Amino acid sequence: MERKDLFQKYIGGVGVASKLLLEEAKPKIDPFSPDAPIIITIGPLTGIFPCMSKSVALFKSPLTGNLGESHAGGQFANALRFSGYGGLIIKGAGKTPQIIKIQDNQVDILPASSLWGLGTSTTERSLSEPIRDCIQSVATIGPAGENMVAFSNVIVDRHHHFGRLGLGSVFGSKKLKAIQIIGTSGVELNDPKAAKEMYEQLNNEVVTTDKMYKYHHLGTSGNILDLNELGALPTRNFKERRFEKAAEMSGENFAEKMFRRKVTCDSCPVACIHLASLRVKFAPEHERGREEIAREEVLVPYNYEPMYSLGSNLGIGNPEAITRLIQRCGDLGLDAMMTGTVLSWITEAVEKGVLSVNQIGDLNPKWGDPEGVFTEMIDNLASAKHPFYAKLAQGLNRASEKFGGIDFAVVLGGNGLAGYTTGYGHIIGTLVGARHSHLSNSGYSIDQKILSGQKTIDDIAMFLVEQENWLNITYSLIACYFSRSIYSADTTIQTLKSIGINLTEEELKEIGKNIFHNLYTYKQQEGFDLEKEIIPKKLKELDTPLGKIDPKVMDRILAQYIKIREREGLKIRKDSSVLKDLLFQDK
Amino acid sequence: MQYIIKVKHSERCISCYSCVFACSRHLFNSVDPSRTAVFIESDRTASKAPIVTLCRFCKDPECAIACPHDALRALPEGGITLNPPKCSVCTTYDCVKACQYNALILDKNTKIPILCDKCGDCAKYCPHSVFWYTEESG
Repeated sequence: MERKDLFQKYIGGVGVASKLLLEEAKPKIDPFSPDAPIIITIGPLTGIFPCMSKSVALFKSPLTGNLGESHAGGQFANALRFSGYGGLIIKGAGKTPQIIKIQDNQVDILPASSLWGLGTSTTERSLSEPIRDCIQSVATIGPAGENMVAFSNVIVDRHHHFGRLGLGSVFGSKKLKAIQIIGTSGVELNDPKAAKEMYEQLNNEVVTTDKMYKYHHLGTSGNILDLNELGALPTRNFKERRFEKAAEMSGENFAEKMFRRKVTCDSCPVACIHLASLRVKFAPEHERGREEIAREEVLVPYNYEPMYSLGSNLGIGNPEAITRLIQRCGDLGLDAMMTGTVLSWITEAVEKGVLSVNQIGDLNPKWGDPEGVFTEMIDNLASAKHPFYAKLAQGLNRASEKFGGIDFAVVLGGNGLAGYTTGYGHIIGTLVGARHSHLSNSGYSIDQKILSGQKTIDDIAMFLVEQENWLNITYSLIACYFSRSIYSADTTIQTLKSIGINLTEEELKEIGKNIFHNLYTYKQQEGFDLEKEIIPKKLKELDTPLGKIDPKVMDRILAQYIKIREREGLKIRKDSSVLKDLLFQDK
Repeated sequence: MQYIIKVKHSERCISCYSCVFACSRHLFNSVDPSRTAVFIESDRTASKAPIVTLCRFCKDPECAIACPHDALRALPEGGITLNPPKCSVCTTYDCVKACQYNALILDKNTKIPILCDKCGDCAKYCPHSVFWYTEESG
């Protein structure tokens, strides 16, 4: 379908998708209903300029019960671009397993029972065709998505993910195993001189300056030692904020012991995806009475978030053990971040006697235990058969309501936290962000500015609003979050202009705000109430580099935030608001 | 400005397609993975580096030998030159099949081969030192 109006009004990406979600998803729809839509979009700059490498998926999240928003790199965005599409809307469901195959104008839904039950890497290898002079992408779910685990993901081109909020399970509910796209068309440059000059300028900034150095060098794994030194590395279910084994699991040690090669998303010259070489033993020793060397190699992407959630947050420091857990989640199609949060919750629950070993399948998890029990738990989560794990598969928030341990279920808005104990910015940011992610509004980064004295706690609320509104523009172009320092407001305006889109900074800010309002309206439509959201006790008492969290300060920041949003025209408070007094106290 | 360009370190390729898009921008003023003189083919297991392919400017090139219409001619210094009117009658595209290095494709619109014109943009835009290139003298 042609929707020029949407791209004109909302640029592309999350902007366009935010309106489509409101149009296509019936209010209060069951996320697993055949009518529940999956909307995946790209933007006008996709494939044309450096770091315009992402696509965004919007759906109703079975994990949070409202907005599902997930971004992925790899080749998916470019495959869509060079097939001539601005996006996909997927509705309906199959009775038997199927794939969607798109080759330029040709769109087919093909039976694929042969792939059902396979891990993500085998599926991708089976579907992927040995072709060049085109862009190919394969996005697939694993067994976890097939079993409709609410935090299952979609693996894109082996090492990339539509990671969070359970898109995998929505695929699974439609019996959709994979989407394969092959794009062989091109995009004409209406003003080749302007576009080429713009490309050259941007490419130089990305490749020759230090702005992207961190991502290219160690990648985000470099965060481990930085955060440990700051005292903001979540350890053992956010109990501590420094890990005694940080050096062992650091990006530096991974680079030394595990690193094999880098890859990058299409149209990005940075190569932030660092692949570790995992040697997998496949034949027991003394086979046929002899000892045999029998190992195979698997390449596993390692990034900060899976490293913290399956590493320090479980008390595990051994890089090989962490890589094995990441690989297990990847092949089964489970969000590594949420899985780590779940495993650490189980471990603390058993430690505190909230759960019994018998209740959880006779498994006794211990902090720092590298293998065995956690691996088995991951398998149980993916299969969702055992009643305890079946409940967990609905989400940690629902499981902790049933079993207890809400105090230390570290989720906000139903979603697990990114790995920072930096302060109020990160916690409130994750709570108020439309998709409950640190990438919604970079709360962790203003915490660091407060620590260095550049900002104060009272700057947090405005920062979160301005950041999230602006990032909605970033996510409509669609630029990768890592390139946000390249695509400042001025550069964004210049870049859009070079392909004939003329927008001022005021217009962009207004669009960004409207996109947030669309997303938030959808959340409210589905029952989200910011004031009723629970902040777990563990976070209300969190120790941070600035000192212990004070719940009253959290309330104050939240009230400031709500006030700013309401001044924008968004209605957040119900009429009987507990925060009313705080709001009127505040200037 | 013309360059001698060689694919020197294919193992360094990160699969960003900067070279492919630089080529299509230069030759066709478009961003088009199907209209390019340089190619990236990914290893399906992703355990090896992608294969990067660019015309090797052979002396005695097999593509020119195979051309039945005298449209592709070998140049004395290596490489080929194309005579488009003679080429456009072709229906067999023997040149593409003949190249054992798989370096030749047809422009899908005009059905004539896309030739590298030694502009050097692929090498200039590669962020990971896959190509070696130097200005051609004379």
